[in-house]
Amino acid sequence: MPLPLTHDDPTGFGPYRLLARLGSGGMGTVYLARSAGGRTLAIKTMHSRIATDTAFRTRFRLESDAARVIGGRYGAQVVDADPLAETPWLATEYVLGPPLDEAVEAAGPLPERSVRALGAALCGALGQLHRSDVVHRDLKPSNIMVTAHGPKVIDFGIARALGDDRLTHTGAAVGTPAFMSPEQATGQEHTPAGDVFALAGVLVFAATGRGPFGNGQPADLLYRVRYGEPDLTGTPEALVPILARCLSKDPAERPATAELAAQLHDGGGEFADHLPDAVLALIGARASEVWQVVPQRLPAPADVPATVPSADVPAARGLTRRGLLMAGAGSVLGVAGAGAGVWAWLGRGESAPGPTGPYEKPTPGPSVSALKKKRLDSVWQIQNGGTYDEESPDAPFVLGGVPVVVGNTQIYRMDPASGAVEWTADIDGTWQIASDGERLYQNVRVAHYDDPDSGIPRDVDRFLARVDLATGKAGKHLAEITDANFGGIDSQLLAVAGDTAYLAISQGKVKMYQRQIPWAVTAVDLTSARRPWTEQLPFRSAKSDQWHFLAAKVVGDRLLLLQEMNDGKVRIVARDTRTGKVVWDKPWDVGPTAAHHPLTADGKHLYLGAGRLRALRLSDGSQAWESAPGKSYGPPALKDGVIYAVQKGLGLVGTDAAGGMPRWTEKGGDGAQASPTSRPVIGTRYAYTYSKSEGVLRAIDLASRTTVHLYKANGDRFTAVEQSKMIMASGEHFLAGFPLQ
Amino acid sequence: MGGRIGPYVVISGLDDAASRIPVPESRFIARSADGDRTVLISVPLPGADPGRFLAEAGASRYLLGPWSSPAAALAGPGEEPWHARPYLPALPLPAALTVHGGPLPEHTVRALGAALVDTLVIGHGQALTHAGVSPAAVLLAADGPRLTCFGAVRAAAADGTPRSGLPGLESGSLPPEQAAGGTPQPMGDIYALGATLAYAATGHTVPEREEIPAGLRSVIGGCLSRDPAARPRPAELLEVFRPGGAPAAADPVAPAPAPAGAPSVPYAPSAPPAPGPGWLPGRVIAALAHQSARILAADIPAAPTAPSQD
Repeated sequence: MPLPLTHDDPTGFGPYRLLARLGSGGMGTVYLARSAGGRTLAIKTMHSRIATDTAFRTRFRLESDAARVIGGRYGAQVVDADPLAETPWLATEYVLGPPLDEAVEAAGPLPERSVRALGAALCGALGQLHRSDVVHRDLKPSNIMVTAHGPKVIDFGIARALGDDRLTHTGAAVGTPAFMSPEQATGQEHTPAGDVFALAGVLVFAATGRGPFGNGQPADLLYRVRYGEPDLTGTPEALVPILARCLSKDPAERPATAELAAQLHDGGGEFADHLPDAVLALIGARASEVWQVVPQRLPAPADVPATVPSADVPAARGLTRRGLLMAGAGSVLGVAGAGAGVWAWLGRGESAPGPTGPYEKPTPGPSVSALKKKRLDSVWQIQNGGTYDEESPDAPFVLGGVPVVVGNTQIYRMDPASGAVEWTADIDGTWQIASDGERLYQNVRVAHYDDPDSGIPRDVDRFLARVDLATGKAGKHLAEITDANFGGIDSQLLAVAGDTAYLAISQGKVKMYQRQIPWAVTAVDLTSARRPWTEQLPFRSAKSDQWHFLAAKVVGDRLLLLQEMNDGKVRIVARDTRTGKVVWDKPWDVGPTAAHHPLTADGKHLYLGAGRLRALRLSDGSQAWESAPGKSYGPPALKDGVIYAVQKGLGLVGTDAAGGMPRWTEKGGDGAQASPTSRPVIGTRYAYTYSKSEGVLRAIDLASRTTVHLYKANGDRFTAVEQSKMIMASGEHFLAGFPLQ
Repeated sequence: MGGRIGPYVVISGLDDAASRIPVPESRFIARSADGDRTVLISVPLPGADPGRFLAEAGASRYLLGPWSSPAAALAGPGEEPWHARPYLPALPLPAALTVHGGPLPEHTVRALGAALVDTLVIGHGQALTHAGVSPAAVLLAADGPRLTCFGAVRAAAADGTPRSGLPGLESGSLPPEQAAGGTPQPMGDIYALGATLAYAATGHTVPEREEIPAGLRSVIGGCLSRDPAARPRPAELLEVFRPGGAPAAADPVAPAPAPAGAPSVPYAPSAPPAPGPGWLPGRVIAALAHQSARILAADIPAAPTAPSQD
């Protein structure tokens, strides 16, 4: 149902005026809009901050292309698009029907005749895509709109998060790998047969209200998709053999769409004849309600911090940390493995910007004599899960020269020189891994089932273990995290130092409809498994997708935490590692996104960028020094007593860590484009800054202070692996290696 | 598309030009030149009296109840006559029978009956006799019907003038007393309602008794009594059409005259519940969605910068 516009929504896109919001997600917002002649349509947009990434922009264009391929019969008719605008947008018809998940939620499981008609029509839709060499990759109930004239398939797997805010609030079967094919779940190519697998899952959902592999944690679902038998309980008897064949682990066993359509339905009657009244009523309501929308715009909240991007405004909240974990499990693998299919589809003939394929052949390293302005290639680049902004900002971890990358469902050890993946291991969330600088620890989740196929665990245990860096396996049980009172089932492993782990843990059973969930921060002694202290945290709304903490670091006897409060404000909290008591607590007037970087500290100070550059004393939180007013800096990096940070509009600057005196400014004017959102990497000869708008990583000679090399780059994070003399760039979908000098 | 009525640009006609069921006015879906307001707009048939047309439209502004269709805008003085209300996806009853492929199911007819009686009762309480109930006057929207064409009988010819065979009046739903030129009275609306429900249930306003579903035979038959006094009171009809309501008596009976001193309405039943899911057949919903999508997608030509030739 349309919602009012927020104060910071634009008035329109292209020739279309905005009327209302239809939904919002991590990638963008969907609006109801109108042309000068009164044509009313849906406009999908991509957040401009994401659109600066060419890979995202490409995906957006591909999504538009795919929508054009599927056309108005089986999809939302594309009316107009501007993929090159600062905020790219796509205008399509406003589809008059509920998504299948909402239809089943509201009307209950569909009768057999509806399931058959729906299945046959979806076979038609997939057949049309497959004939055009497009694979959907992300067929699931929330991506299927049920109209009176048949289903329409929307939101291709390419730009999956767009407008999909349902991901974050219905735990069930949506935004999880519940409909993924086993080949997709193992990172292999997802072919048309994979879409048939997903279709069968969708039909089981339509007939029973749940997917064939149940609900639950992404990691559990992935396991069941790969190895478990589908649960067809409750599926009409006559459909069981048909759907079971579609759900074969072996793609070759599954029927083609035309054959499946013939088995499902004889094609008699109109689609609406086969729908139950409750679904027809939802369709009728959609067809009418859109005419009652009165354009409305909410006033600006009294004080919006200027640095908070619109996606963090509650009404427009994007995929936030926990939400993204749920959604992301699909995305990581979706992009990692199954991405191949789609990239291959587009790659034919044209070379898409950004990553062009998995395991791309390493390109020749840069030559020292390369011309200054020539953009050099990375040493290697692979397309895989990569990392997310929302994970622990300390990842990837570098342990004795070995980088361990944390994805949403897996961690993997990399060879920094070649980009080869040495091992992978499953995890259940990015904030469940932490390191003390030498060893890697995991908050391991074990689900116990009464019936392994049921999908709903009877019980969940968590314990802390050390990860064997040689194999990726979690070692012996160091300390229990869950307790008999259901505490700790939801938990965030914050930091490990000196044989003590620090976690944020939920307390008590988390019930779906509970308004407030108690949380605590606790210390766990890894040798005795005892908890020296547990300190209460503010209650957190059960609806919140946020973790409590954006970053954490132990320095001496201080546990430094960036804590996101219920109102979205960020505080810097220092606790005593021995007692857990808050030693000091200061507000920090930046948004959670800007704050989400590794904490930079030495024995005396905590250094903050994002706005002014500041040093706070660890002892009492008082300010040791601050940069001059009017200048804005990115997250700082510390090297040899110098704080390096990108000054907005100027470039890399160095500041004396002890006293805050300016020490160093890059020359040559190349730094104006440097992104003040990325932390610089400081080598022995060069410092490296990233410019997102140009898509380059720039090497600046520390002696001459001028740019010496440019590398084609893309990513959110750049991590030095000093032992291998490499920089690892990680983005949402890929990793790349650059030389570190 | 593109013709203008008052400040509106016509997108399409509402009624099926091929339908043989008369419509007392010409109805269009149109949009304001700025593109913002889409309306259902009516103009009189050629040759009709514009004064009487506008007078009825003006009176309709006072209609209450969820299923009435009051005019929200009227032609100004000296303008060609029209009246308009906000657009919502709706099908004239004859079009609904066409898309459904025949008479509507009995439960649909009952839901329709309940909503229309409710509307008439409210109007009669306001001293407004509808005098225009006919198959084409009933629009079906997803949430319930809308009763349009208020005052079509009065507008067609002044009282005292025989109205049989006048353009726009559907003969089967024209009460005999009004056909003869009588001033429309509330019980005339009951006759027209009976004919309209008969149409919904059989496809004819003058059905053979056997065509009518058994459960509706006596009530429709009662409404269609030539003698207005023999027609059922609206309150009884509300009971009959109420979901799970009492079946009407086997034969229409004249209501007992109210005893002296008793309230004029023996009891006032509450309004019937709004039609629920399933009240419309699937293909009618599909046609509503199709119309909605078509009008959503319609783009009227840009507003002319200078006054055009009209």
